[in-house]
Amino acid sequence: MAAGGRGVADPLSPAGVPCAFSPLNQAYFALASADGQLRVWETANNRLHQEYVPSAHLSGTCTCLAWAPARLQAKESPQRKKRKSEAIGPSNQIDLLALGTAVGSILLYSTVKGELHSKLISGGHDNKVNCIQWHQDNGCLYSCSDDKHIVEWNTQTCKVKCKWKGDNSSVSSLCISPDGKMLLSAGRTIKLWVLETKEIYRHFTGHATPVSSLVFTTVRPPSESQPFDGVTGLYFLSGAVHDRLLNVWQVRSENKEKNAVMSFTVTDEPVYIDLTLSENKEEPVKLAVVCKDGQVHLFEHILNGYCKKPLTSNCTIQIVTPGKGKKSTPKPIPILAAGFCSDKMSLLLVYGNWFQPTIERVALSSKEPHMCLVRDISNCWAPKVETAITKVRTPVMNSEAKVLVPGVPGHHAAIKPPPSQTEEVESKRKLGENEISIEERLGALDIDTKKEKDDLPQTNSFPVLLTQGLESNDFEMLNKVLQTRNLNLIKRTVLRMPLHAVIPLLQELTKRLQGHPNSAVLMVQWLKCVLTVHASYLSTLPDLVPQLGTLYQLMESRVKTFQKLSHLHGKLILLITQVTASEKSKGMTCPEQKAKLVYEEGAVEAMRKGRPIYSQPEIRMSKNKSEEQNRCLRGCFGYFLRLEGQHPYKTTTRCHPCFVQISAFGSLEEKLLVLTSLWGCAFCTPDFLGLPQRNHEALPVLFSGVQVLKQSLGVSSPATRIMRRTQK
Amino acid sequence: MVEEESVRVVRCGGSELNFRRAVFSADSKYIFCVSGDFVKVHSTATEECVHILQGHRNLVTGIQLNPNNHLQTFVVGLKLHALFTLPSAEDSVFVIINKEKPDVFQLVSVKLPKSSSQEIEAKELSFVLDYINQSPKCIAFGNEGEYVAAVRDFYLSVYFFKKKTTSRFTLSSSRNKKHAKNNFTCVACHPKEDCIATGHKDGKIRLWRNFDDDKKYTYTCLHWHHDMVMDLAFSVTGTSLLSGGRESVLVEWRDATEKNKEFLPRLGATIEHISVSPAGDLFCTSHSDNKIIVIHRNLEASAVIQGLVKDSNIFTGLMVDPRTKALVLNGKPGHLQFYSLQHDKQLYNLDIIQQEYINDYGLIQIELTKAAFGCYGNWLATVEQRQEKETELELQMKLWMYNKKTQGFVLNTKVNMPHEDHITALCFCNAEKFENPTLVTSSKDGHFKVWILTDDSDIYKKAVGWTCDFVGSYHKYQATNCCFSEDGSLLAVSFEEIVTIWDSETWELKCTFCQRAGKIRHLCFGRLTCSKYLLGATENGILCCWNLLSCALEWSAKLNVRVMEPDPNSENIAAISRSSVGSDLFVFKPSEPRPLYIQKNISREEVQWGVFVPRDVPESFTSEAYQWLNRSQFYFLTKSQSLLTFSTKSPEEKLTPTSKQLLAEESLPTTPFYFILGKHREQQDEKINEAFESELVQLPLTENIPAISELLHTPAHVLPSASFLCSKFVSSLLLSKETKSGEEIPEDVDMEEGKESDDSDEENDFTEKIQDTNNTDLGEDLLHQLSKSEEKELRKFRKVDYSWITVL
Repeated sequence: MAAGGRGVADPLSPAGVPCAFSPLNQAYFALASADGQLRVWETANNRLHQEYVPSAHLSGTCTCLAWAPARLQAKESPQRKKRKSEAIGPSNQIDLLALGTAVGSILLYSTVKGELHSKLISGGHDNKVNCIQWHQDNGCLYSCSDDKHIVEWNTQTCKVKCKWKGDNSSVSSLCISPDGKMLLSAGRTIKLWVLETKEIYRHFTGHATPVSSLVFTTVRPPSESQPFDGVTGLYFLSGAVHDRLLNVWQVRSENKEKNAVMSFTVTDEPVYIDLTLSENKEEPVKLAVVCKDGQVHLFEHILNGYCKKPLTSNCTIQIVTPGKGKKSTPKPIPILAAGFCSDKMSLLLVYGNWFQPTIERVALSSKEPHMCLVRDISNCWAPKVETAITKVRTPVMNSEAKVLVPGVPGHHAAIKPPPSQTEEVESKRKLGENEISIEERLGALDIDTKKEKDDLPQTNSFPVLLTQGLESNDFEMLNKVLQTRNLNLIKRTVLRMPLHAVIPLLQELTKRLQGHPNSAVLMVQWLKCVLTVHASYLSTLPDLVPQLGTLYQLMESRVKTFQKLSHLHGKLILLITQVTASEKSKGMTCPEQKAKLVYEEGAVEAMRKGRPIYSQPEIRMSKNKSEEQNRCLRGCFGYFLRLEGQHPYKTTTRCHPCFVQISAFGSLEEKLLVLTSLWGCAFCTPDFLGLPQRNHEALPVLFSGVQVLKQSLGVSSPATRIMRRTQK
Repeated sequence: MVEEESVRVVRCGGSELNFRRAVFSADSKYIFCVSGDFVKVHSTATEECVHILQGHRNLVTGIQLNPNNHLQTFVVGLKLHALFTLPSAEDSVFVIINKEKPDVFQLVSVKLPKSSSQEIEAKELSFVLDYINQSPKCIAFGNEGEYVAAVRDFYLSVYFFKKKTTSRFTLSSSRNKKHAKNNFTCVACHPKEDCIATGHKDGKIRLWRNFDDDKKYTYTCLHWHHDMVMDLAFSVTGTSLLSGGRESVLVEWRDATEKNKEFLPRLGATIEHISVSPAGDLFCTSHSDNKIIVIHRNLEASAVIQGLVKDSNIFTGLMVDPRTKALVLNGKPGHLQFYSLQHDKQLYNLDIIQQEYINDYGLIQIELTKAAFGCYGNWLATVEQRQEKETELELQMKLWMYNKKTQGFVLNTKVNMPHEDHITALCFCNAEKFENPTLVTSSKDGHFKVWILTDDSDIYKKAVGWTCDFVGSYHKYQATNCCFSEDGSLLAVSFEEIVTIWDSETWELKCTFCQRAGKIRHLCFGRLTCSKYLLGATENGILCCWNLLSCALEWSAKLNVRVMEPDPNSENIAAISRSSVGSDLFVFKPSEPRPLYIQKNISREEVQWGVFVPRDVPESFTSEAYQWLNRSQFYFLTKSQSLLTFSTKSPEEKLTPTSKQLLAEESLPTTPFYFILGKHREQQDEKINEAFESELVQLPLTENIPAISELLHTPAHVLPSASFLCSKFVSSLLLSKETKSGEEIPEDVDMEEGKESDDSDEENDFTEKIQDTNNTDLGEDLLHQLSKSEEKELRKFRKVDYSWITVL
């Protein structure tokens, strides 16, 4: 039976599945599949518009279909007063679809109502209907069949108007001339009939196999010298079963002419043909031919006279699946139909399987001779019923998407070294600086070697491991070092690491800080340590800002929520650390520290005086200094927060990523500490250490606290001065 | 060439579909819904609009099927607020009217005068209920029209038609907090029993019984909704009650018990109306996002009739997707809707935010505030924001890449907090020479950021991603607008009152323009030959045009511009200004300050957004005034979200369905069922037809009977008396009838044989029939001859038994 599928299809039938775009603007695509169902798709959004199963779909499979032509019709509506704005009704509704079946009946289906409109049976065909054509003006329908007859139907009454024998064998294809007065039919030969009298006007022979497709390609004759009778001089195109040539014929006035004017070669039997009619003589006819092998060939040709050599296509379109992995090769996806859009510059392609075809609008470029489109239609089989009802499409959001949060490189413009022009201007100064830095580096190297020699016997191998890890970029080795939780160990390691490894370490830490919040907790300890210990070294680097720009942005973005507080804390912690360091340096000698920094005594004194503000126990200089400092600072913060009178950390339903990451840091104090310590000791640029002068209304208490602190500390100048290198 | 008519404003996208309950046709094949001034008839199977009923000149407020004639519908509008019909009250309908005071409404019964005209003016009003709610949801007729129930505020009034009495039941109002939200919101009546269901503001549904007695009345409570019950409907048999509300869940209460309930969740938006088809097989729900969902009896959604989504605010403005040529704007919450202008229907909603939308009052939702297409539709940038308090702004920018392989958008880069404050503008550089896609965002935080696509490949995968390339600012002013020149070489960013021009290669500030005329509201570059001009419209109603070559002001005009849009295909720029009367359209070229085209008062409302949509096929207007419509069409959106455009086509040029054009008559096909059952009937019909035929054939024969012709043609004065002629006359008639019937018999057998063969093979039908007709023709010929020549022989047939005829 005919329900067998494409492969078993009768050789006489058009090779592909019967399908067609709706006229005018190709809003719909109707496809009658081998299982006897008619499916109509919306071309614009590839949505299944409706499905229809004819009652006799198993015996009478649909063999051909045709949309009723769209026509403008004057609507005699009572002329009412013009409204300010009137609705555009459901314009250009194309709603009748004629289906020819394998048993000879013709169904008229209304796509608007979604039901059968009428059935043309009586007096029609008694064998398979091969082709249906609507007359563009008078509402007639022409059909041809395997029963060798052509039938003219009156669709208004659903009755046969005329039935005549079209050929000695089955008639396979029909086409109505542009003026609507002639009919082309094709069986073994192509015949041109006069519709009024049903007489043969011309014969054309040339195809060896039954003709499967016929279409007029021009509406006007090429030369306008002789008067145009509606058909003479027109070209038409024919394709045949198993024939890889499309012939072009011209209707000529002399009767004898029977050979094709020219031909187009394609790779396989043509299945679906669409063309654009040329408006004027210069504009070529564009032709899209879908072949049985699933390719589309595009031709652009101005039809004028003979051409002996068959023309090859201007462009070939193929669609393939993406080969997954290296092993599987890309497989071609068959194209079912192709139709030119109304702008003539793009093509609607229907490809995939007939069950769930994909409809895509492809823009045509005349340059490329071959277009190979890679399309993944593997998910097309997934049921789409849900989306068909809700009309919601969900774009893919997968983990591969890049995520930019504040602080991650790329979120903010990278801090670039100043442009070359300014460099030239400042070259002199730079030179001097460079010299110093080289000296310094040499010195640092010296110290490093010394230090390593000194330290190797007594301490563990952490600094060495760290240096090696940074040099070799060994992830494992770095993990071993960086994942330690022992604060003292971290401190000692940082203290003993070579100076040249500081920048690489900072960069490594920055990278890790951007990662998972859990690991970031540890990294913050390291970072804090490095920045406190090596602040002086860092401040000497001339290209510090571009080198640590990312870290800078990261910190800036992460402490944004409590900026002022962080500023203050940073300053405090810096002061305290430096104080303790200098205290310590009195007792024990640390080569680097002593050599590089000398602090003003006044600051130390002031620090001690400033104690009572916080009503804290005095800072005792015990061995476990970091703990002491932390406690002291916690006290400070408690004080400030109480004064502020509000809980700083609000649980929000939708956490800002910044919050999420900070929230992993432990208790509230811990969080603030992390935030602030992260911030405070960061950089010694005057801008940062400058006390918050602006917006002090916003945080008056904090600001006044700072003022008091400043007074008590006796620090009137920006804190940078404390930090400045006095060695030289 | 198109025949030129005046340019008119026409509406597209339709009006609200959810204004009133939709009404099913008797056979459930069609659904009638009120849409602005029209009534639209949609097919429930295909969602397509089949008819548009026009007639009103103002908003249609109610629609009902005539219960006694299913093919007739009543429609009311203008000052009448709702309409009801009852099968028992044949020639009267009920309408809600407004009496003097603005908030007092009455239900009155209107007697329809018998008239065949389309518009009826009825004068006989009889008052039914006073002081009721305006909404038709608050009126319901119960138990085949025995009573009518109306609700308002805290009371339910029931009027019994037979007794002509009104009972009133009041719920405890805001005395204590528990009952504070006891307000009635809607009412429905059981079709068979004396039972009234009322919906309340607190989400409860009360089922009232025994309400004919003021004291013995009872009610039971059904409570599932957590928010106001928007509408209620009983199924046709009354076994189940449907309810819906803001939760967007259709709840079916079976047997009026709280335990037995079924749900149809995730309907997308607040359910505003529920209606039930008279056949009982379909329900439909109207939603606040301008759609109607057709639902099967088994609670399965089967079709969606979706108009332009009008629920949400439009923040994104109007855009055109270069790929689908669809109009893109805010749609469902968190979605972008793609609306096809060619087909005038919604294509789909693209879910950008991808979070479950919790439809609840007072929740601050994530809003999609900005969107832009770039690089021929290959990129889509969207900005979403949520702001609970002033300081708690959450921003997210997403950059979507169109994946050609899968034919869909894939998220490429997600940027959290791209700026520290609201993003005011978003634009792609769409110049062809820039192979590297570039996006600019400007924000109230005083910065604009340039984002570029960079290679993000690593050893694991090849990838591209967006990174920030440059951050620019100008004296800490808020950046309000940004746009690229057509060739992409210049970027204009407005900082409040100042326009800055940046070189897009080096991101250097080239020059600044300042007009001191208020903040810049719109900014755009000229196109094509006018690319040397930059236009800016300020808040204070000044439109400025700067020349970029001379860096000077070319011209300025006083115009309170609300919308300014450049046409991508020409030099034209459309500006819509707001005046006290309405909105005016000006189309001009930057090179000359004189406008090409002015249309005053295009809309009474404020116009919020506009866009030029390139035409697929260019028009060819020759008149200068319309040339701006040749290559693009201008669409604009008013504050009430009606999408309007300019058209020159006369309304008569609209296309009608081809089925109607062709006037093809519906000949419904025969089904197998028909072959089984219809067979017998067909035969009977055939026979009756034959009987008819025989009578019909007889008439011409009368002329051939000599007795009759004699009677008729003989002059009256020579005729014998009537009694003499009578017997002869009657016998002649008898004779002819007999001969006819006699001839029919063999023919009849023939027909039956033909029919039997039909059964076996449908295809032979035609040929058989041809034979049949041939037979009858022959038979008639024969008949003629016989009746003329051999009367005597045929007299024998009188004796044949014709009793079988009486059986027929």
